[in-house]
Amino acid sequence: MFEKLRAIVSKVDADYADARYEIKKETVISFTGQDLTKIASNSTDGYVVRVLIDGGMSSVVFTKENDVEKALLMAEENAKLIAKTIDKPVKLAESEVVKDTFIPELKEDPREIPMAEKLELVRRCNNIPLEHKKIAMTRISYEEVIREKHLVTSEGSEIREDLVTTRLSGEIISKDGNLIQNVRVRAGGSDGFAAVRDQEKHFEERTAIAVDLLKAKPVQGGVYDCILNQGLAGVFAHEAFGHFSEADIIETLPAMRKKMEIGSKLGSDVLSIVDNPTIADQVGFYKYDDEGVKARPTQLMKNGNLTGRLHSRRTAGEFEESISGHCVAEDYRYAPIIRMGTIFIEPGKPSFEELITMLGDGLYILDAKGGQTAGENFTFGAQYGYLVKDGKVGEMVRDINISGNLYKTLKDISAVGNDLVLSKVGGCGKLQMNIRSCHGAPHALVKNLVIGGA
Amino acid sequence: MEKLLEMAKKVSDKAEVYSIGYTHNSVSFKNAKLHGIESKIQSGASLRIIKDNKLGFAYTRNLANRQELLQNAIDSLEGEVEANYDFPLTEKLARIDTFDPSLENVLSTQMVEESARVCDLLKSETDAEISVSSTTYTETIRVMNSCGTDISGESTFYVMYGSLVFPGSASGIWGAFLSKDFRQMPENILNEMIKLYTSSSKIVEPKGGKMKIMFMPNSMIALKWRISIGTSSKSVYEKVSPIANKVGEKIFDERITIHDDPLNDKHPGARAFDDEGVACKPLTIIENGVLKSFYYDLDYASKLKAKPTGHGHRTTAWGGDPISIKPVPALTHMIMEPGKKSFSDLVKSIDRGIILEGALGAHSGNIPNGDFSIGVSPGLYVENGEIVGRVKDAMVAGNIYEMLKQVVDIGDTLYPSWGTAWLPPILCDNVSVTTKN
Repeated sequence: MFEKLRAIVSKVDADYADARYEIKKETVISFTGQDLTKIASNSTDGYVVRVLIDGGMSSVVFTKENDVEKALLMAEENAKLIAKTIDKPVKLAESEVVKDTFIPELKEDPREIPMAEKLELVRRCNNIPLEHKKIAMTRISYEEVIREKHLVTSEGSEIREDLVTTRLSGEIISKDGNLIQNVRVRAGGSDGFAAVRDQEKHFEERTAIAVDLLKAKPVQGGVYDCILNQGLAGVFAHEAFGHFSEADIIETLPAMRKKMEIGSKLGSDVLSIVDNPTIADQVGFYKYDDEGVKARPTQLMKNGNLTGRLHSRRTAGEFEESISGHCVAEDYRYAPIIRMGTIFIEPGKPSFEELITMLGDGLYILDAKGGQTAGENFTFGAQYGYLVKDGKVGEMVRDINISGNLYKTLKDISAVGNDLVLSKVGGCGKLQMNIRSCHGAPHALVKNLVIGGA
Repeated sequence: MEKLLEMAKKVSDKAEVYSIGYTHNSVSFKNAKLHGIESKIQSGASLRIIKDNKLGFAYTRNLANRQELLQNAIDSLEGEVEANYDFPLTEKLARIDTFDPSLENVLSTQMVEESARVCDLLKSETDAEISVSSTTYTETIRVMNSCGTDISGESTFYVMYGSLVFPGSASGIWGAFLSKDFRQMPENILNEMIKLYTSSSKIVEPKGGKMKIMFMPNSMIALKWRISIGTSSKSVYEKVSPIANKVGEKIFDERITIHDDPLNDKHPGARAFDDEGVACKPLTIIENGVLKSFYYDLDYASKLKAKPTGHGHRTTAWGGDPISIKPVPALTHMIMEPGKKSFSDLVKSIDRGIILEGALGAHSGNIPNGDFSIGVSPGLYVENGEIVGRVKDAMVAGNIYEMLKQVVDIGDTLYPSWGTAWLPPILCDNVSVTTKN
């Protein structure tokens, strides 16, 4: 394959070019309630070529080999047009030339597990909630995505890497009269099929929460001090802070860029945040990004000070900062953009019990239900929560949605626990979906969160 | 394709080949400067076979290995996914105008010039951080099946988005323009954006409580999403639609009428047939507030013993890759009847309230129940009929089935909203707003 990609790269008269070819293999088994709605294994493939000519950079994606000439012509013309129009030429930061093949070690290769065994595993887990009379519906899927990537650059890098992702996830929907509630189930990893085995207990626990939610009261809207559990604090790290560590987002927002200067004191003293795609076995793990840059841990915040950000070669050049290896594509249908790998809040000292005592009165809220961010503002949902009074966890509440301001909330994180947990399933939509973006945190105490409610 | 269908017919009772080819060229300006150009030339094919009422499904990017594709479909039969439906025989289709050949010849230079023109205009009138993107898209879809259907359609789309971002945030006033051919972004859209931006530059901190909320095209996704889920035959079958037994009942204010009108080719995105080859026709979902119909694909029509309505589409809530998605019920060309009030008349009728220009977190929360709880991004605060500034750090929450009974008025202009929906602004009363004050 490298030979074919070398031929493509050499056809372009450019200052820099790279060509990526991927085969993407997907297996999906989906249940909706008792109905099996999808079971299929498939393979697709395609090419992405990027060219840099006179400081103008453009990309083209194509799926048929015989479109290569037409595609290259489009990319070249567009790059030249950009070069002619922009005042500041694109300059890629220096990166090591790499020749490597990296095939991750797996705890059971999902390609070798028979479809019948996968189906049985999903069916067994799906049946756990369905046995409960208050569970109206389930939507449970097994998804296996294998990206077999080949990258060649005009600088001489030639990298083959496989990314194998498995997950068993979905939602459990409970119903009582007109009231419908749902909770999520999630298992998976980047280290093989073993990551989705033995999930029965998890399914039982989540079923119990879905049923309990039918008796919970809706939370009253207002401003609360809250303890976020690991899943939710991890989403905060990702949604509220992580996206603004992505250099391509703030690059073209001058006011945010000014505020996010390295060295600025943006968070409270207890807050340190890292993105580390090199932790093997985590969903956010990869060795090289889709520009061929070796992934490296990046300290984004240390004791509240901004210490780094996530880069592509282009933005590292623009910001004159170190490359970080965070330029990743969903698959062969996309040119890469800056993405988080494994972002997490580093643990502090207090135990969960100590945090609850520190909270006194407020809410203990758990597990994320989708989040979104727009500049300094973010919002995300919690799947469930509990009222806390005098340092004691009380009755369950539901329908919790949180909104806040990035800068205020970073300073309002007043304590971080000692119990870091990283998420087992990734997923981040930013024009493209990245299933290998995951997050984590310990329990965290946050003051003054706006909770929406009736 | 023909060869693949012949091969598939030999090993199955019923077979369908869906194929799609598309090209796309996208120019983006950020901070009012040219930022990038991306092109795509893609195609693919998807195969469904039915044998003994079980479904086999497979897809590929190219037809280099038909046997492998067929084998994947045969292998997936083993899962025994029920398929108690027939593929349709569709011969006659409504003639609709979805394709303008001139779009195929639009050059990147023309798109760069038009984007620069829009940036310059917006820049001369505001202090905003400006983003503009301009995209041409051409698509060909063909559906063939073992009943003899062999139909195809070509479409062109041109779309331009412009945004005026309030400095220090990433939220702002957005404007969208969709067309079948390449043309300049109309001035009235740009002028509306400028007016809204300049009138809301001041930050205000009102008290929360119940007030009037005007949903604008970008925040309408919060309502559109929940209406689409509630009226889907899939939700009815899964018993998670709160309006499953309410056909013929009044569920919303009588001024709310919603059609899915795939044949309306005035707007881009019109379709003569769905992704399963069923002929499309207009369908009234809500008429004068009364629930008239759910919408069906082949599968859920058979499960619920109803007739397919031509709403089997290969899409998800987030779009996705059509060749890899099995058809599901989806609204494609949702149109809400406009009201009679102009935007400025609507604003004048607000004693205290928020114009919700954008919603954060519209995709989270208890969607089947119709609940929403969304961050304002941005929200323009109105007092005594005038925009006085914009609210930050606030949430708007409610339930569409309650809120859409309390409609104050509906705007007289349709805007494109999130894909190919065409919706007017809606002003609702008594909506709960939480602020820090």
